[in-house]
Amino acid sequence: MKNNFPIFQNNPDLVYLDSAATSLKPAPVILSEMEYYIKYSANIHRGLYQMSQIASDQYDQSRQIIADFINSQSNEIIFTSGTTASINLVAQTWGQQNIKSGDEIIITQMEHHSNLVPWQQLAKTKKAKLKYLPVTSDFLLDQKSLLKLITSKTKIVALAHVSNVLGTINPIKKIVQTIKKINPKTLVLVDGAQSVAHFPVDVVDLGVDFYAFSGHKLYGPTGIGVLYINQKIYSSMSPTSFGGGAIKEVFWHKTILGNPPFCYEPGTPPIAQAIALSQAIKFIQKIGWPKIIQQEQDLTNYLFQKLKTISDLKILGPTKSDQRLGVISFAFTKPKSPTPHDIGDILSQKFNIAVRTGFHCAMPLHQLFGFTTGTTRVSLGIYNTQKDIDKLIDALNHVIKIFS
Amino acid sequence: MHLITLLKFFLNMDDLYKEIILDRYKNPHNLGTISGGIKVEEVNALCGDKIKIWLEVKNGIITDAKFEGSGCAISVAATDILMDMIKGKKVADVQQMSGAEIESQIGIELSSVRKRCAYIGLEAIKKIKDSLNNL
Repeated sequence: MKNNFPIFQNNPDLVYLDSAATSLKPAPVILSEMEYYIKYSANIHRGLYQMSQIASDQYDQSRQIIADFINSQSNEIIFTSGTTASINLVAQTWGQQNIKSGDEIIITQMEHHSNLVPWQQLAKTKKAKLKYLPVTSDFLLDQKSLLKLITSKTKIVALAHVSNVLGTINPIKKIVQTIKKINPKTLVLVDGAQSVAHFPVDVVDLGVDFYAFSGHKLYGPTGIGVLYINQKIYSSMSPTSFGGGAIKEVFWHKTILGNPPFCYEPGTPPIAQAIALSQAIKFIQKIGWPKIIQQEQDLTNYLFQKLKTISDLKILGPTKSDQRLGVISFAFTKPKSPTPHDIGDILSQKFNIAVRTGFHCAMPLHQLFGFTTGTTRVSLGIYNTQKDIDKLIDALNHVIKIFS
Repeated sequence: MHLITLLKFFLNMDDLYKEIILDRYKNPHNLGTISGGIKVEEVNALCGDKIKIWLEVKNGIITDAKFEGSGCAISVAATDILMDMIKGKKVADVQQMSGAEIESQIGIELSSVRKRCAYIGLEAIKKIKDSLNNL
């Protein structure tokens, strides 16, 4: 598998364990982006010349491939710059236009700052109430509390499909059913940044209204993200940023906007990135979900077993493999132990192992569980092997030795 | 082990986590608070370092310095060493100090990310307002 990722040709000893931050890119993705620039580098939906038509066709096809990937329609796919931009787009359009003083917004205690701050700020400007769905001591969402939290005033629930710190997979379908049963008008936004690269997502089956994800965590390029909006929602929202490509007709004092999704994508979009993202999806489909899921689950179990052999190491996240993905955050509990920052530095400099250290954009969550100096996070991708894990464990033991 | 990694280890890692850092991290000399002292604090959001410093200042001269906080080995050790460095100096002079002086005191060269850890104490002291310098 590593042969498919050219970065390993330049860094043969690299042990990359930070796929939750960004995944490495396979050759077809890199080549596809380059191909756009060297073969048909034209703007889309504008020129009548051949290059522009090729670019337009590739770009449109890409939207269809992405739509199929999550079982949606192509007009329900809005290209953004990433998950963060997707969530902000919902907060700044639908949120600004529908949330009133006294309304309720519900998010969870395990959200990434990107799915926390946009709602916190919206609640502040609208004088709406921001409520948090708690995380239990076994690192799962407290579904019983959900029953009490949802009221007739709850306008939206925004939550992660998979936690970027805990690795917890949230039972979105069941949660959506619970929410809609109590208040059918409550909309649900799911942050899919950590899920789409690891198991199939079907937005229709899940019953969600918004689904956001990034290209670069899906083995695709940076600079491209996706926002799925259930087309039924379009009538209750309108764009707040305007420009070329997003309009039908413009008069001196009036503009007729284009149809969604185009009216939400003013300006020249990330063309090369959108096309390359569809190649990333094809790459995943070629390997196949059963293989990806099995391989990552086996490796996660292996990582767990190995981490358990290290004394005084506390894992922040559920232990059952059917409740989690290969995102494992941990810290040493004894005072004067190496902190995550020390661990990350030694792992990188001495062992060429890339892990994430700190709060992983989830500061309140770390504080909730008393991990005040953060955690070290290991996150897996399809290129990781048991050998990578063995190297990690040896390196961690070495860090302990330095500090003993 | 790869030759370059090996070299890096001898040149860098042994140095970075050499005795002085580990010793000062585990047993800082200047841990504590000073009642009535000037209190400043600084955080490094990247890694979660949080340092509080207390200075006793007489006639603009630092007569005692203590700190408390949680953070990585580099931030704790460097702050502890900084406390030793600043005693007997004018607050105004300490505020002019560069991070490189801390590095040369520890005797290691730090990567840009780790500089932020090592300089955290100095960043805190730089927050002291001019009006307090002459206490």
